[in-house]
Amino acid sequence: MEEQVLTPEESLLVIQAMINKAKETVADNSYYFLLWGWLTFIACISQFVLKVIINSPYHPVVWSINIFALIFSLVHAVKQQKKQHAKSYVDSALDYLWLSVMLSFMLFGFVFARLGWQDCYTFYMLLYGLGSFVTGRLLKFPPLVWGAVVCWLLAIITTFTSFNVNMLLCALAIAVCYIIPGHLLRSKYKPQ
Amino acid sequence: MFKELDPILHSQLRLAIMSLLISVKEAEFTFIKEKTNATAGNLSVQVQKLKEAGYIDVTKEFKDNYPNTTCHITQQGIKAFEEYVKALQEYLKVGQSR
Repeated sequence: MEEQVLTPEESLLVIQAMINKAKETVADNSYYFLLWGWLTFIACISQFVLKVIINSPYHPVVWSINIFALIFSLVHAVKQQKKQHAKSYVDSALDYLWLSVMLSFMLFGFVFARLGWQDCYTFYMLLYGLGSFVTGRLLKFPPLVWGAVVCWLLAIITTFTSFNVNMLLCALAIAVCYIIPGHLLRSKYKPQ
Repeated sequence: MFKELDPILHSQLRLAIMSLLISVKEAEFTFIKEKTNATAGNLSVQVQKLKEAGYIDVTKEFKDNYPNTTCHITQQGIKAFEEYVKALQEYLKVGQSR
C-alpha cells in the first residue's frame, strides 16, 4: 500500500475495505460444538442404556466424560491462540459467554447434588440453548439460533416427562443445537 | 468552515491500520501486514507514527520463541478516528450538495 494524497471518497473506501477485511476475523468454533455435542450425546444415550436397560446404579458415572471434553477444549484453545493473529470483539464476547456457561454448569452440579437430580435435564437444556442462541446471533449463523429455539422447546417438554425420557430428549436437543449446527459451521469455515 | 482532516490519519496506510484496529480487539503485525498488503518496513514506520501520536498501543513479546508485535487502538485513537470520519462526512455532504 503506497502513500498518496487521499480524497474524502478514497478515505471512505479505505475505511470500508479494511472494516470488511476485519469482519472475516472470527475464529472457527465448530470444534467445541462437535466435541461437546458428540460427548454429551454419547453420555445421554449411555446413561439411558445403563439406567433403563441394564438397570445399573452407576449410570451417572458416564458424565465423567466431561473431564475429557474439558481437557481437549483447553488444549485446542491453546493451539488456536497460537495460530490466531487477531482477536475480534466477537471472539472475546464468545470467550466470556462460554466461560460463564461452563461455570453455570459446574454450579448447577453443586445445586443438583444438594437438591436432587430429578429436573437437572431441564436446566441443562436451557443452558445449552442459551450458549447456542447467543453464539448464533454473534456469528450471524441461523442454524445455531434455530437449534437453540428447538432446545428450549424440548426443555419445556421435559417438565411433562419422566427422568428416563428426559435423557433421550436431552440427546435430541444436543443433536439439534450442537451437533448439526457444529457440522454446518465446520463446512462454512472449511477452505473451498 | 471545514474542519482540517487529521494529518496523522489522512494517509492511506495509517488510515488502513486504524480502520483494521478499530474493528478488532487486537491484531498482530503479521495480520495487519497481510490485510494492508504493505511492506514490513513501511508498516513499521507507520505503526511507530501512530504509536507516537498515542493512537495505538504496541506490545512486543515472544510467541513460540519468535518476537511478536501486537497492536491495539487506544481511547485517544478511537476519538481521533471518530472525529476524522465526522470531518469526512462533512466534506462529502458539501460535495453532494454541489
